[in-house]
Amino acid sequence: MISRYAGIAPARDLILLRKLGEKLQGKTLLHINSTRAGGGVAEILHRMLPILKEVGIETRWEVLEGDERFFDITKKLHNTLQGDAVTIDEDMWQYHFEVNRKNAERLDLEADAVLIHDPQPVPLIAFKKGGTWIWRCHIDLSAPCRDVCSRIATYCQKYDASVFSVAKFAQAMGTEEFIIPPSIDPLAEKNRELSDGELQEVRDRFGLDKNRPILLQVSRFDRFKDPVGVIKAYRAVKKYNDCILVLAGSPATDDPEGAIVLQEVRDYAADDPDIRILLLPPFSDMDINALQRLATIILQKSVREGFGLTVSEAMWKGKAVIGGATGGIPLQILHGVTGFLVHSVDGAAFRIRQLLNDPEMAAKIGTDAKEYVRQNFLITRHTRDYLSAWYCLENSGKDVIEL
Amino acid sequence: MEKISEPFEFKECIGILKATGRKAASLRELRDILAVVRAGSIYHHTYQYFMRGRFLEYTNDFAQWAGEGLGERALSEELSNIDPYEFRDIEEVRKKLLDVIDGYLGHSPAPREAMAGAEFYFNETVTIIYPAGIRAENLAEFLIAIRFIDINAIYYHFYDARVRLGTNDFSSWFDRMINKPELAAAVSAIDPFMHDLEWIRRYIAGAVEVEVQRDMEMTGGGG
Repeated sequence: MISRYAGIAPARDLILLRKLGEKLQGKTLLHINSTRAGGGVAEILHRMLPILKEVGIETRWEVLEGDERFFDITKKLHNTLQGDAVTIDEDMWQYHFEVNRKNAERLDLEADAVLIHDPQPVPLIAFKKGGTWIWRCHIDLSAPCRDVCSRIATYCQKYDASVFSVAKFAQAMGTEEFIIPPSIDPLAEKNRELSDGELQEVRDRFGLDKNRPILLQVSRFDRFKDPVGVIKAYRAVKKYNDCILVLAGSPATDDPEGAIVLQEVRDYAADDPDIRILLLPPFSDMDINALQRLATIILQKSVREGFGLTVSEAMWKGKAVIGGATGGIPLQILHGVTGFLVHSVDGAAFRIRQLLNDPEMAAKIGTDAKEYVRQNFLITRHTRDYLSAWYCLENSGKDVIEL
Repeated sequence: MEKISEPFEFKECIGILKATGRKAASLRELRDILAVVRAGSIYHHTYQYFMRGRFLEYTNDFAQWAGEGLGERALSEELSNIDPYEFRDIEEVRKKLLDVIDGYLGHSPAPREAMAGAEFYFNETVTIIYPAGIRAENLAEFLIAIRFIDINAIYYHFYDARVRLGTNDFSSWFDRMINKPELAAAVSAIDPFMHDLEWIRRYIAGAVEVEVQRDMEMTGGGG
């Protein structure tokens, strides 16, 4: 498994994975989250577990079980931690704890290290039997609802450490806090190299002209992703620069607001034949991969974003990416070096025009962007960092550790 | 080529980032936290700035934030000219940073606050050092290794060594083990604040290549 990353991931990640594996040989690691399918956490765990096992860590992954009420509460928790004003009353907190108590009876919580993902299973710490417990928070806590955050912090303080994706997502929880960004897997269907034939098939299926530049944004139809802003930018560019705009996303059948936003986007696009709104079924990973590779410039013009891993996915295809200066996007895009950060529709239009008119600059940025992702945002670095954090906790108090 | 009694053992290092939980939205806040934050955090934002491989406009995180986050370019320039390797320990670096910021606060209009989300986050790192599994027994082997070694090894031997030894590991080995004082001096003369790690790699490889060629000519083909 690890050898498949040789020549793709930086050698240091592979060396260090093996060395840390030797140090932690035979120890047990338990991941607990709330879903085995769907969402970024499950996607990463599916890809990470075989790597951990190969380096000699006995790794298990357990999933929290809960009913509709529980997941309704945890969805609200998630939203309040990201800043929405929703009340979580005492009954809801009690139910949250109670479901975790029942899960604690069912699950084997014994392991040398336990990694608890996100707020759903955070109360499991009350049932700790031993080992090093780490709370892995994947969400943006930079401007949370204070009451809810304080309550979560009472659980966090019992952990040995917490892990956040970006320093600005962290809160002073009173424990050690590691900063570990998420990652993409270069071997996954969404990111693997594609043949010319595969690219041609996708180009033909979506009827994309080979001779015209393609602007692409891949995202849910969500106002925070600003799809209407992308169309505005495209229109401003179109005055002097011929191009096609592709907005690709999944139909939001379970999200009434998603359907409303999609309609807004369709209305705004009107009958412009050069705007393609592509509704892709869930798990259209190969199609997204191909669209990114066929695109000339990729946008992620979010006005609010979590980490925004779609940016790294696009950069991995060697493309110049224009991203909103929000969430984790500035961590991936070094302005003017690995892409452009923008703060407005005008900014997006200006950068698109610059890149369309200077293909050499676009190519240089694309090359640097891919290398930046290779150095910083691949799953091998992510796995290495989890093991490093665990090993740091086993050597607590040391600023320098020599392996 | 002749074997050397003590080979050059390449090592690499990474930093595992930790949040201190402290952040500054204004220059005054930056100053106040800087005065009390753990020394490890100052070390991370100054010395370890170069570990990221590619640095931006300025030469430490404080200077970068003063310019990018607050728009205080004159302060950035002053902070960028601080050479942390000139000081005996981090406490002296802390004092120098505070002196510069205090001076600036004393004679300039109060800077604006950073935009929400663009505050300065004080972080620190745990450094993990490990052998790269590559050693050079002579200058020719060193040349191959330096060309292909992971970029973090260049950081460890060129920058981190300055804190450990007061010089870089490469020059130390060139001088002590292979009797190449000129090569050692050429590498020591690289301005550590003006080049990224790839440039430093290329420069050292170029200088070593010249030496290897010269040695081969002197010995009639090396051996």
